[in-house]
Amino acid sequence: METPNPAATPKEGQPSSSKAIIYVCGECRQDNEMRPRDPIRCRECGYRIMYKKRTKRVVVFDGR
Amino acid sequence: MEEIKKQKLAEPIKCVEDKWKLLPAFLKVRGLVRQHIDSFNYFINVEIKKIMKANEKVTSDADPNFYLKYLNIYVGSPDVEEGFNITKPISPHECRLRDMTYSSPITVDIEYTRGTQRVIRKNLPIGRMPIMLRSSNCILTGKSPAELAKLNECPLDPGGYFVVKGSEKVILIQEQLSKNRMIVEMDRKGMVSCNVTSSTHERKSRTVVIMKKGRHYLKHNSLTEDVPIVIVLKALGIESDQEVVQMIGTEDSIMSQFAPNLEECHRLQIFTQMQALNYIGSKIRQRQRWGNQNKTKADEARDLLTMTVLTHVPVVNFNFRPKCIYLALMVRRVIEAQGDSFKVDDRDYYGNKRLELAGQLISLLFEDLFKKFNSELKKIADQIIPKPSRAALFDVVKHMRQDKITNGLVTAISTGNWSLKRFKMERAGVTQVLSRLSYISALGMMTRISSQFEKTRKVSGPRSLQPSQWGMLCPSDTPEGEACGLVKNLALMTHITTDLDEQPIIKLAFNLGVEDVSLLSGEELSSSEVYTVFLNGNILGVVRDYQKLILNFRLLRRAGYINEFVSICSNHSHRCVYIASDGGRVCRPYIIVKRGRPMVTQRHINELTQEIRSFEDFLREGLVEYLDVNEENDCLIALYEYLITSETTHLEIEPFTILGVCAGLIPYPHHNQSPRNTYQCAMGKQAIGTIAYNQRNRIDTLMYLLTYPQAPLVKSKTIDLIHFDKVPAGQNAMVAVMSYSGYDIEDALILNKASVDRGFGRCHVYRNQKCVLKKYANQSFDRIMGPLLEAETRQPIWRHQVLDQDGICAPGERVKDKQVLLNKSMPVVTMSPIQTGNSSEQQQQEYRSVPISYKGPEDSYIENVMISSNPEEAFLIKVLLRQTRRPEIGDKFSSRHGQKGVCGLIVQQEDMPFNDLGICPDIIMNPHGFPSRMTVGKLMELLAGKAGLLEGKFHYGTAFGGDKVEDICQDLMRHGFNYLGKDYFTSGITGEPLSAYIYFGPVYYQKLKHMVLDKMHARAKGPRAVLTRQPTEGRSRDGGLRLGEMERDCLIGYGASMLLLERLMISSDQFEVDVCGECGLLGYSGWCHYCKSSCNVSSLRIPYACKLLFQELQSMNIVPRLKLKKYSE
Repeated sequence: METPNPAATPKEGQPSSSKAIIYVCGECRQDNEMRPRDPIRCRECGYRIMYKKRTKRVVVFDGR
Repeated sequence: MEEIKKQKLAEPIKCVEDKWKLLPAFLKVRGLVRQHIDSFNYFINVEIKKIMKANEKVTSDADPNFYLKYLNIYVGSPDVEEGFNITKPISPHECRLRDMTYSSPITVDIEYTRGTQRVIRKNLPIGRMPIMLRSSNCILTGKSPAELAKLNECPLDPGGYFVVKGSEKVILIQEQLSKNRMIVEMDRKGMVSCNVTSSTHERKSRTVVIMKKGRHYLKHNSLTEDVPIVIVLKALGIESDQEVVQMIGTEDSIMSQFAPNLEECHRLQIFTQMQALNYIGSKIRQRQRWGNQNKTKADEARDLLTMTVLTHVPVVNFNFRPKCIYLALMVRRVIEAQGDSFKVDDRDYYGNKRLELAGQLISLLFEDLFKKFNSELKKIADQIIPKPSRAALFDVVKHMRQDKITNGLVTAISTGNWSLKRFKMERAGVTQVLSRLSYISALGMMTRISSQFEKTRKVSGPRSLQPSQWGMLCPSDTPEGEACGLVKNLALMTHITTDLDEQPIIKLAFNLGVEDVSLLSGEELSSSEVYTVFLNGNILGVVRDYQKLILNFRLLRRAGYINEFVSICSNHSHRCVYIASDGGRVCRPYIIVKRGRPMVTQRHINELTQEIRSFEDFLREGLVEYLDVNEENDCLIALYEYLITSETTHLEIEPFTILGVCAGLIPYPHHNQSPRNTYQCAMGKQAIGTIAYNQRNRIDTLMYLLTYPQAPLVKSKTIDLIHFDKVPAGQNAMVAVMSYSGYDIEDALILNKASVDRGFGRCHVYRNQKCVLKKYANQSFDRIMGPLLEAETRQPIWRHQVLDQDGICAPGERVKDKQVLLNKSMPVVTMSPIQTGNSSEQQQQEYRSVPISYKGPEDSYIENVMISSNPEEAFLIKVLLRQTRRPEIGDKFSSRHGQKGVCGLIVQQEDMPFNDLGICPDIIMNPHGFPSRMTVGKLMELLAGKAGLLEGKFHYGTAFGGDKVEDICQDLMRHGFNYLGKDYFTSGITGEPLSAYIYFGPVYYQKLKHMVLDKMHARAKGPRAVLTRQPTEGRSRDGGLRLGEMERDCLIGYGASMLLLERLMISSDQFEVDVCGECGLLGYSGWCHYCKSSCNVSSLRIPYACKLLFQELQSMNIVPRLKLKKYSE
């Protein structure tokens, strides 16, 4: 499972160009849909720091 | 009437209650790092203009009509360029996050010629200046806490540092011997010399008057040999011997000592100024110089005496008289000190020291860069103007490049290398990264002073605590080991002066009865009736009634006519009055006492608490004044009111201010053994706690935070002043001082498991991973790819499990060892341009995968992912990783008294002892820690804390004060506790009462950053170094544990040869070689290439490093041959 399957390599997920991902602006908290290689700049306020949104997958913490 | 007066005189001086309230008022205006900020402000607003004025004109050799003149220079407010010519103000926090420099443009107004035209240009940028946080140009100054919070900045952050390329840099305070002052020294042979290190903007030089074989000589770097002093004086224009002697002194003792000098001069047949100049000219060190070689020896000598010898003494129109007088005084000092060792100056005396701050250091650097900038402009002008084929006229503005100054400043601050060719200054480690382990470590760094002494020299003088450092430097806060005593810290109230204008002081001094030195003859100067008056190391003149001068001067200063930081003091052994207005002196405020009564009364303090009055009002009204180290010597300072006598001139504001920031955290430090306080000062900086209010917005490389920090139960006034209770680093643990099991020996602590479960000592560790996506010269660029999918399941492979579609890990995910955080790939060819083919070929660029993966024995969680761009428009990705750690065995804890210990055992609460109220201790500490360490302060802290929690209030353990043990014991007794703080305890294991009463109560405990998880390391097999095939070194490389030379010696001594063989070869770098028994050389697969036979080749095992050595020797034409013998022979 740990070894990357060579057969999968050419497909390589979706080469990230097509997918746009939503980031959050660090200043105004506006959601920004951005593609790779887009300049990083908030559409609302022009701030240049973006943060990623939290994962949608389930994360289990062990409470100790 | 008489009766009443007598009574009034006899009554004791009333103590002014809450006199310490002056301190917060002081800190409000001055602040803890005010010295840095003041110095930088001075540079940016004043000094930079002076530098510009001194280098205002650029001319060209090619065109006499060409000139460039600077009219004005400004430093703007910090901004960032967004696109072409659009700028936007920027906040320091954005700079930290985006790895940028918090800097503002330096602009100039210039006037220059373009062809025959005269052009004036305004606001022309010449570079960028990094801006100190909270300085006058910083956007944070004057902002309210709410506004600061909006900018993501902590209101408690002191500022005073720079943000350069995203990292916070502090320019440490540098300690130096003061410039332009005479220092009389005696070397080991008893030879006396008088040194002056002169320093002006242009030049720096050291001049020495030494005594050799009963005669005096002038020693200087640019002279090949020492020149007799009389010759120098004659060269300076004092030709008659009588005048020379008068200048130095006509007392018999001095004349008799000086006579041999005159004799020598006669022997050398030098009588006139010309002869003397020629003599000196022949001794000048020839330097490689081009061009003007046409100077005569005498001219050269004259130039040397004007420019380089004692540069700080001004020579106007070749009037050497001030220099003569100065030199004569140096000789006189040497003669006086020859007979009397008390007249030798102490180099370690703090009045002879000057502290160099950020402003001064940057101004040196800027001046250098500005000069280089100008000389480059000149060079360009020289090159371009003569060229005839020019389309447009020569316009200097087009050649003014900004990057020279910008890069010069940025690289100096970010590397800490200050190299100035002009002054032959080459200093490394001037700046350091601001340590953000805790709030205290950051504050402590801002007050740190490093001195220029070599650390290796074993001299105690500069390291030991000088009495003159009282109140200026913290007596406790210094590191242990090699830097002990060389690195110091400022005390709480210390201020460092900046340069002040001399002109008004000179004028004032003359008005107050100082007679100008140029009007006097030598006889009058060295007369025993007068005192010589110095201003910043230059002789101003003489004064008959020095006491009156000093008195009037001080009165004028208190009235506010002279700057409060000008100091005046007398020195009776020198018969001098020294006035100082130079920068870098340490000083400190005191309450003025007049006629046995302090000027500050209860009324003033009341007004202060009502906020009608500020600290500046105290200064203005002459109630409080600053004294520097030299002036303190002229004063009688009372520590407390009851110590005031009729001679007292000043009163200490609060005695605890002699300690610094770090030592101020310790409760009852005056009850501790002194080294314990020093240990705590070092450990307080390693305590995990709160960093600042903006800690959760920061993405630092390493950040430790306490999950549940608590303010200490026993506070001190310093804690209140620096707001440690708002950003604490520690927790109040219930401590039982008793023995428990055997796991508490050697300072180990026993922790209560239930307390640990409840969050005692729990901390977060934040780490970051940074990644920049670069663009390369050939238009290719780094890219990040989405996760690799498995062929059958279409699920991401395990290593890529935490990645999102964009190839960056998602916040909230848990990452394990070797999982990928950022799936970056790099183009294989980055330099050469891509072959010009069809466009599809360009797309098919080859990429090499360079993923950034997580390494660590324990999993982490992704706290945050920041995506931004740095100014070069490259993408910048920062991933913040979090770990939550609970205390485990081996984690280090410490109280505030230098009592560190590791956790030895974590015990179930059921097994812990409990008192009659059912309270279990959080920590059990072994009582053996007390007798030899004598940390009585800790015992008192426990007691005060216990009383405080019963009363529901914070007790104070302020140094040289604080709540009294007696009162605390009364409180305890009132609440039904034993007045000694001892409790009845029952054993949790047996259920029987313990046979002794247990000293029990809360103590503030710090968790230190040294944790087992970061240090644990073991290896069975693992990576090996490529060259030697031996196991790698160090934990970070999963290295082996070294069996060192000393361990090897033990095994040899014991005769354990097989063990040695196993450790050093078999388990390390064993290698099988074929050796030819005939020639002794290494063969290959059973064949000797030298003998061309396989007859005598035998196979044996040697360390690979040994084989490597043989081959390396062979490559150097040395043949190592192995002689083989049968095992049995």
